Amino acid sequence: MTPFLKRAPVLIPLVLLVLFAGQVYAQDVRLKNIIVTNTRDDLLIYLTVEGAFTEDMQTAILSGVATTFSFYVNLHRTRSLWLDKKMVSLKITHTIKYDNLKNEFIIQRSWEDSKPITVQSIEEAEKMMTEIDSLKVIPLDHLEKGNRYQIRTKAQLSKVRLPLYLHYILFFVSMWDFETDWYTIDFIY
Amino acid sequence: MGKTPAINRTVQSIDDQKRRKREIIIIAVIVALVALLTFAENRVIHFGADFPISNTILMFILININMLLLLLLIFLVLRNLVKLLYDRKRKVMGAKLRTKLVVAFIALTLLPTIVLFFFSINFITASIEFWFNVPVEQALENSLKVGRNIYAITEDNNRFYLDRVAYQIKTKKLYEPAKHKALSHYVQVVQNAFNIHGVEVYGTNSKRITYALIPELENKPFSVISANDLQQEMNANNVRTISENINRGQLIRTIGTVPFGVKHTEAKAYVVLNVIIPQDLSERMSSISRGFEEYQQIKLLKKPIQITYYITLSIVGLLVVFCAVWFGFYLAKSITIPIMALAEGTKKVAEGDLSFTIGAVADDEIGSLVNSFNKMTKDLRGSREQLELSARMLRERNIEIEARRQYMEIVLKNVSAGVITLDADGYITTINTSAEKMLRLKSRDVLHESYRSLLWGQHLNMAREVMDSLMNAEENAVELPLKLSINGRPRSFLINLNSLKGNAGEHMGIVMVFDDLTELEKAQRMAAWREVARRIAHEVKNPLTPITLSAQRLSRKYSQELNEPVFDECTRTIIDHVDLIQNIVNEFSSFARFPTADPKPGELLPIIEETVALYREGHPNINFNIQAPPSIPILNLDRQQLKQAMINLVDNAIAAIKMDGDIAISLVLDNAADKVRIEVADSGHGISDEVKTRLFEPNFSTKKTGMGLGLTIVSTIVNDHNGSVRVRDNDPRGAIFIIELPI
Repeated sequence: MTPFLKRAPVLIPLVLLVLFAGQVYAQDVRLKNIIVTNTRDDLLIYLTVEGAFTEDMQTAILSGVATTFSFYVNLHRTRSLWLDKKMVSLKITHTIKYDNLKNEFIIQRSWEDSKPITVQSIEEAEKMMTEIDSLKVIPLDHLEKGNRYQIRTKAQLSKVRLPLYLHYILFFVSMWDFETDWYTIDFIY
Repeated sequence: MGKTPAINRTVQSIDDQKRRKREIIIIAVIVALVALLTFAENRVIHFGADFPISNTILMFILININMLLLLLLIFLVLRNLVKLLYDRKRKVMGAKLRTKLVVAFIALTLLPTIVLFFFSINFITASIEFWFNVPVEQALENSLKVGRNIYAITEDNNRFYLDRVAYQIKTKKLYEPAKHKALSHYVQVVQNAFNIHGVEVYGTNSKRITYALIPELENKPFSVISANDLQQEMNANNVRTISENINRGQLIRTIGTVPFGVKHTEAKAYVVLNVIIPQDLSERMSSISRGFEEYQQIKLLKKPIQITYYITLSIVGLLVVFCAVWFGFYLAKSITIPIMALAEGTKKVAEGDLSFTIGAVADDEIGSLVNSFNKMTKDLRGSREQLELSARMLRERNIEIEARRQYMEIVLKNVSAGVITLDADGYITTINTSAEKMLRLKSRDVLHESYRSLLWGQHLNMAREVMDSLMNAEENAVELPLKLSINGRPRSFLINLNSLKGNAGEHMGIVMVFDDLTELEKAQRMAAWREVARRIAHEVKNPLTPITLSAQRLSRKYSQELNEPVFDECTRTIIDHVDLIQNIVNEFSSFARFPTADPKPGELLPIIEETVALYREGHPNINFNIQAPPSIPILNLDRQQLKQAMINLVDNAIAAIKMDGDIAISLVLDNAADKVRIEVADSGHGISDEVKTRLFEPNFSTKKTGMGLGLTIVSTIVNDHNGSVRVRDNDPRGAIFIIELPI
């Protein structure tokens, strides 16, 4: 036992380094302009992701890598003495694919059932990918007046699929991945 | 040595317990490490979403095994390194050799590994560069450009026609609802004339007004462009192209405004020209697109691939290096452990512990060295035991010899004869106690002195003769009687000289054994005289009685008858002289059978005073002096006999002094020797040395008259009292008779 204990001061930093190596690659991606509002019938949320479209990401997209952003929106009713009740759990995906033949970007948004949107410029594509407008969270009549509610949301880059089964070999390719923290907004209906 | 089985078992079970505990600890640590590593890997490695679970698990397992192995190796190597450094600091035997071996191994493996490593990396880099070289990229890009050109050309064509068509429609105002039929007709004409696969016209409300298709597409559904697409901004050429996939191929739809090139707000209608790109062409183009895409993605991943290769190479290289290092340690251990054992063994042997043996090792030279060492110690042990044995025997012999020597010394010391040994050169080597006593010598005065320096005069001559005759091997033994005067007293010795000869006959020395025969001779003479006296007395006595009786008878018978004075005188003379003879005979007889002393405690001084008193009056010309200390102890003495002895001595003293002189009688108390000395000193004519030796013999007298028995009687009396009598010269003249009596 003692030889291990002796080596512990050497081993532990190594392991910790490896553990937190993942964090080193994380970029500085934030959610911005999170607005919770309502129409007459529904609870709506607007949000924007900032800092996701790095140069590496752009290069990857221009190389034809299909990239998917995932957005998670959870609605909880906060209860003081018990766990919060999860009322709604939404997962939204934005997928972008560049067609190098036609030199256009095809964007698919899961919460818009329409056909894929084609844009010509990367700026437009970025805008489409990073924004969520008027997403219906829950119909208003599911909410009780006077209760405290909390919306938690975060954005994440889904795993990127590499060609030619390279993902069997390249474990370290996660340089474009990002994951934001959970952003919470409390409100009282 | 072997332990008893019971102890062995307990030792084993303790070892087992320890081992099991260690194993459990190791397993626990490994599990913890695996969990930790997996967690760490999860954070770092992202597999694709469609990466099968089984493969994921497999990859994780492989990675973990690799990491664990690496960690284990690192740990082992580090431990060994630390131990080596520590040993080096402590100067443990073998540490330097181990260091050398390990360093050699490391160098031996590091060098080729590093070379291979760098070479591989360069090779990989070069290969990767080669694969991604420019011509390939150029070709792909050109293909893509060809593909793009197809779209561009199609769009261009469409735009060309769109321009014409839009102009026509605008000029003829065919977009008006009333001209619907004419529009359809025109559209059909256009389609036929220009062989466009499809021509459509949309109104401002984004609803399709009319369309015309090639015969193949007739009666098949033809999708409508959505309002969204219609309303999209035109690009630089004032057209907008969208594409759709239909089963015949790819449909390129170019939208243009009527009039051509105006904004949406001013557009009266929209014309869409559709061109179908055949399926196979379309497929080829998409495959070109895909290929290029993949190529570009791989290009993106060039760096990561390189990094992966580097990392893999590094891991493998590290594994190799650590394996080599560990192997170096192992080999070093197999060499240094026997060497250390040997070193310790030699140290122990130097200290004297010969029971050390080294366990057998491998078969090689070191093994044979170890075996030789063991054999050497065994031999050393054997010879040491032998040495101890012979030392012991030697000690015992020495003790024996010493004991014998001491015994001989004691014997010599206590033997009554005197023993003097001389070496070959005449130096005295030993002299025993009896010799010292007899000759009145001290050994330290004569030891290691030559006889030539100790003797002189006629003695020296005699000695020389004797020595010569002995040394010249004429005789081996010489016996000679010798009369010497020791301290003024005459002694008679019988000397036996033996020459000591060595093995080769060389003269080694002389041993002299002598006995003091003085007393013996005296006694012999005494006995002889006694016998003579007895005989004479006996023989003479017998006829005396008849003579006396006859004379008496004659006197009785004829004295009155004859009344002759001559007769009476003669018979009287006969009787008197016979009486005289009788007395003499009686004296003889009494000498022969002297009555034994009857000692009773008494004082000595009165006897002497009485004796002196007898003579004092009768000899006024002699000065009598009595000296006595105040305390003379009471002695056991026969008063009568001692008085007789004193009388005899004083008689002699007086006889020695012719005219006047001194007679001094002194009593001396010798406490040290427990003796009382009576010294009768006269200033007479003295006694010569020759006479001194015969003084106490019977019938020896220097007087004209006398039987010479006086001193003999004195001697007998004194001897009966366990004392001794002797004579020596008085200073300046005369003689001193000394009687010593024990207390």
